[in-house]
Amino acid sequence: MSTQDIILQQLANGLIMGSFYALVALGYTMVYGIIKLLNFAHGDLYMVGGFVGFLILSAISGVLGESWTAIVCSMVLSMLAVGLLGVIIQRVAYRPMLTAPRLSILITALAVSMILSNGVMSITDGEYLAFNTDLGFDGLDFGNVFISYTQLALVISASVLMFVLYFFVNKTLYGKAMQAIAIDQDACKLMGINVNRIIALTFFIGSSLAAAAGVMAGVYYGSLHFSMGFVIGLKAFTAAVIGGIGSIPGAMLGGLLLGLLEAFGTQIPFIGSEWKDVFSFGLLILLLILKPTGILGKTEIERM
Amino acid sequence: MQTKQMTALVGSALAGLLMLSQANAADLKIGIMVPTTGSEATAGKDMENSIKLAADEINKAGGVLGMNIVTITGDDGCDPQMASSAASKLVSSDVVGVVGGYCSGATLPTLKIYGDAGTPFVVAAANSTKLIDANPGTSFQINSTGFDQVNTAVSLFQAKGIKTLAIVHQGDGYSEDLAKLTKEKWTGMGLEVVAYEVVNKGEQDQSSLVTKIKSKAPDAVFWTAYYSDGALLIKQLRQAGFRKLIAVGDGSNSPKLLEIAGKAAEGVFCFSNPTADYLPAAKDYTASYKANYKQAPDAYGPLAYDGMKLMADAITRAGSTDKAAIVNALKETKAFTGITGAVTFTEQNTLAKSNFVVLVAKGGKWTLNK
Repeated sequence: MSTQDIILQQLANGLIMGSFYALVALGYTMVYGIIKLLNFAHGDLYMVGGFVGFLILSAISGVLGESWTAIVCSMVLSMLAVGLLGVIIQRVAYRPMLTAPRLSILITALAVSMILSNGVMSITDGEYLAFNTDLGFDGLDFGNVFISYTQLALVISASVLMFVLYFFVNKTLYGKAMQAIAIDQDACKLMGINVNRIIALTFFIGSSLAAAAGVMAGVYYGSLHFSMGFVIGLKAFTAAVIGGIGSIPGAMLGGLLLGLLEAFGTQIPFIGSEWKDVFSFGLLILLLILKPTGILGKTEIERM
Repeated sequence: MQTKQMTALVGSALAGLLMLSQANAADLKIGIMVPTTGSEATAGKDMENSIKLAADEINKAGGVLGMNIVTITGDDGCDPQMASSAASKLVSSDVVGVVGGYCSGATLPTLKIYGDAGTPFVVAAANSTKLIDANPGTSFQINSTGFDQVNTAVSLFQAKGIKTLAIVHQGDGYSEDLAKLTKEKWTGMGLEVVAYEVVNKGEQDQSSLVTKIKSKAPDAVFWTAYYSDGALLIKQLRQAGFRKLIAVGDGSNSPKLLEIAGKAAEGVFCFSNPTADYLPAAKDYTASYKANYKQAPDAYGPLAYDGMKLMADAITRAGSTDKAAIVNALKETKAFTGITGAVTFTEQNTLAKSNFVVLVAKGGKWTLNK
């Protein structure tokens, strides 16, 4: 492989990894934007999404076969199911804590994360589940640069989801209500916006995006495990912070940037791939020193 | 009046407790240290099951020195810190000996804890060479060590005409050790290691590493870590069009690897300690394991089972539950033949004779390579 091939291939790798990070980061950023909560359970919703998708796919593959239609169906159903789970979590665990000190709700989020991951661990006996869809290794071959159709489908579906979300938040009344709540909840209540319903809707969307990423990861990587939400949760959170937490385009940008940094970090000459994370997170620290609010984050004015 | 009644009640309750503890005096407490939670819980539970199976069989045959074996499980979570506290807990529960040890990284710090207490420890699966240096003399490794595996690996690569090698590990005690030893041996023979890489535990996307490996065009890739992430690497290597030889270390010897990697795993080589499927002597063990646990034993079950039997054998030969006497008896093990073969120890308490085999994935199954 020539240097140019390597650069192109790593670019593709980075974009694929980045679209996963971006999808999960969106949930973090939306929830933070609207109720200033770092939802630590978000990575676990990604994991639950993967498992739910697996269950649905196993159930419907008898009828539809393990085709793309079946995968899309299971993804949509898993998004609905996990979206609802997100709403339930918000209703049961977070809403009663909204007026409590910030730290209490943060700890509640940690607890929800533990309950989800340990719950799935008990159900699955801590076993790895093989998600074998056998999509084949075909793809687009540009000499030494290779992108499989599965990878292409992943990036396209992630982009479609992100585009739909962007449209929803900016062009619909519900989206505008979300933005308004992020600015001032009390004023929204006075304007007749049903704040609780909009918060629930935010959780629904954020959780279902995580579920979509979870199903895609299951299909693409071929294995599921109760701990799979941890690493990606951490990385997506980082992506959200780089992009400027609370900003939706920021989360997308942050995710892609982190993916690219990691891909190219592996390739730095003379040092092994064990320095990949040191490199990417080192750059992130530098970025946050120079711009503490993230790339697209706005400096908040503290209201007294 | 009431006080008297109370005293009588308390008195009889105390007497009952005393009797209960007397009944317990005939129990022989053996500790099991394996990961029963966390990423390696599957292998750990399999070992726990096998040890309990061996203990049950011994108890049914009359126990050890007339005592009933009672097992206490300490969960090491495949984590050095958790393992240290599990070991301390086992020591303070007065176990006579400990059987177990799956993750080398987690087993390493416990050797000193057991050594300080004089507790004999039969290490059934963990086989990093670091364990040899850290052994205070009370631990016994019944799995072949990393050195044996390196020799098996290198001779396979040579037989296949491999010139350049890529080695990938996960930065933990076990896989880094195996990777380092292989690299030393390989470069010592004047051959080249073109990539020496690390994958973070639990990271699903390894595409950037795959691209890097492909760009170095090695004749073979050797994965030295566990099956869960190994399966992902194999799948992504094959997906990216890497068609050359792939070999995995004994930590990846699991049917799950083949299940997760699917058809991408076809033709992958695996170095393995003796597993039940390839051991004629393990037929009865496999049958009773299936009857008891409704599933087939995993890779390290037979060794764990042998570990328990060896411990019981040593206690019988020692003729007492004195820990020092048991350690001596273990050292002098001569005529013990388990389902994985005969056990004799070297000066360093490691197996005198290696028991590694080479497997190859064929039709979704591990088969013995001929």
